[in-house]
Amino acid sequence: MPSEGIIGVLNDLWIHYKDQTSLKLKLIDAYLGYIMVTGIIQFIYCCLVGTFPFNSFLSGFISTVGSFVLGVCLRIQSNPQNRSQFETISPERAFADFIFAHIVLHLVVMNFIG
Amino acid sequence: TRFPPHSTQRNKMESFKWVLVLLSLISASTGSKSGKKTLVLLENLSIKETHSVFFSDLISRDYQLVFKLADDSNLALSKYGEYLYDHLIIFAPSVEEFGGSVDMMALTDFVDHGGNILVAASSDVGDILRDFAMEIGIEPDERETAVIDHLNYDINDRGDHTLLVVDPSNLINAPLIVGKKTNIPILYQGLGLVADPDNPLVLEIMTGYTTSYSYSPTRSIEDYPHAVGKSTLLVAGLQARNNARVVFSGSIDLFSNEFFASPVQKSQVGSKEYQQNGNRALSEALTQWVFKEIGILKIGEVKHHLQGDNEPPAAYTVMDDVYYYIEIQELVEGMWVSFTASDVQLEFFRIDPFVRTFLNKTSDGKAYYAKFKLPDVYGVFQFKVDYRRLGYTHLFSATQMSVRPLEHTQYERFIDSAYPYYLSAFSMMIGVVLFSFVFLHFRDPNERKKKDN
Repeated sequence: MPSEGIIGVLNDLWIHYKDQTSLKLKLIDAYLGYIMVTGIIQFIYCCLVGTFPFNSFLSGFISTVGSFVLGVCLRIQSNPQNRSQFETISPERAFADFIFAHIVLHLVVMNFIG
Repeated sequence: TRFPPHSTQRNKMESFKWVLVLLSLISASTGSKSGKKTLVLLENLSIKETHSVFFSDLISRDYQLVFKLADDSNLALSKYGEYLYDHLIIFAPSVEEFGGSVDMMALTDFVDHGGNILVAASSDVGDILRDFAMEIGIEPDERETAVIDHLNYDINDRGDHTLLVVDPSNLINAPLIVGKKTNIPILYQGLGLVADPDNPLVLEIMTGYTTSYSYSPTRSIEDYPHAVGKSTLLVAGLQARNNARVVFSGSIDLFSNEFFASPVQKSQVGSKEYQQNGNRALSEALTQWVFKEIGILKIGEVKHHLQGDNEPPAAYTVMDDVYYYIEIQELVEGMWVSFTASDVQLEFFRIDPFVRTFLNKTSDGKAYYAKFKLPDVYGVFQFKVDYRRLGYTHLFSATQMSVRPLEHTQYERFIDSAYPYYLSAFSMMIGVVLFSFVFLHFRDPNERKKKDN
């Protein structure tokens, strides 16, 4: 039956995720979840209140989106299963890139937030 | 050799006398700046006698009248570029051509330079007066025509119903031009005029009745009359854009001694008889208006500054509170007194008006002021006062000033509605720091287990 199919697939996905992913990746995923929630809250707030200081809205929203993207990059590069694609990039290098990009992102956000 | 003492004294007296003469000449020439020098052009010298009351009224108001015949060959309105007269009265209806250097161009130049003209015509009107009237937007009827009204003629009319009794309700609603409202009628006999409908400056000072028309009194009517009903003008006027005033009356008899003295009564049975008609009062009011004794406005001091300051800043800023002050004066009996209307408006203008407000009188009643907030628009603006009212000269004042946008430091620092965005940006930063702490010091318990094993 279809409903059972979809719920069954999601259930399987969740169980597989709980067992198979390492704690490190789950940590990154929790962090990404937090960023997404902040971003969604901001977007709903903007829809309700209007875009008055549009630059502030943009910079707040882009800060969440940018952090999310950088977090996803870190997760991809830290996953040992992807090691074959990232031969030249050690985990330390991935983390260093993550921090450097964050510095640039937050500099831009602070400038634009008005 | 020395001069004897008494002759040096005599020389001094002589030179002193000459200085006195020179001074009196200078003062006499500047005395004409009061604006009363009037040239009166007459058709023939008898008009001076038949209209003597009118002229003596003017002389009693300090007008300096210079009488000349209209075809005098020495006539000149200006000499070496300067105008010799301030006003002109033309009581020469049938003249075909003026003498000397006066022609239509000279008359219109006279008006262009601010001179005022009072013209009176009659049924016997010459072409040059008709042409001049066309120049000022008035079209008189042809020669040998008159205004006829079969229901409103005087009891002394000679049968062709051209001696009209004009009610004061036919006068323009402007006490500045025609004097205070009365119910005393006016006697009129003369030419009919029509105003050019495209000319916005023509004033219909005295119109006919709905039953009036302008046609030859001796011919039977074959074509449509030149003027019919209320659009038949009896006295018309114009205030030019340079505030020069012209009054054109279709009847020279309106100003005559005979009409001033005659009683007036409509021919209909039961009409009231007035021993005294309104002609003399009307001609006094008309001459007061046309020769600029009345209805003249001028602007005194104009000031503007921020509310609370005394001096204007180099440039205003958007949304400032501004105070504007203007003195307007009116000429009343030869003296400038403060103007007292309550409908003067101020426009704050940059291509379009952004603010339009009434001016209020100051507490001492001598000037007008306005207080308002500048709009949230920057640019170069003007404070404009543009006052046009019937019978008054056109009052115009424009003061330019600039309005700059807010300086970088004049904006709100933290906008209330943007606090969530500030919060989220900072929380992202704190989140990164915390996350990287945890991430770096992270030891995978599975690996630990493996290591232990």
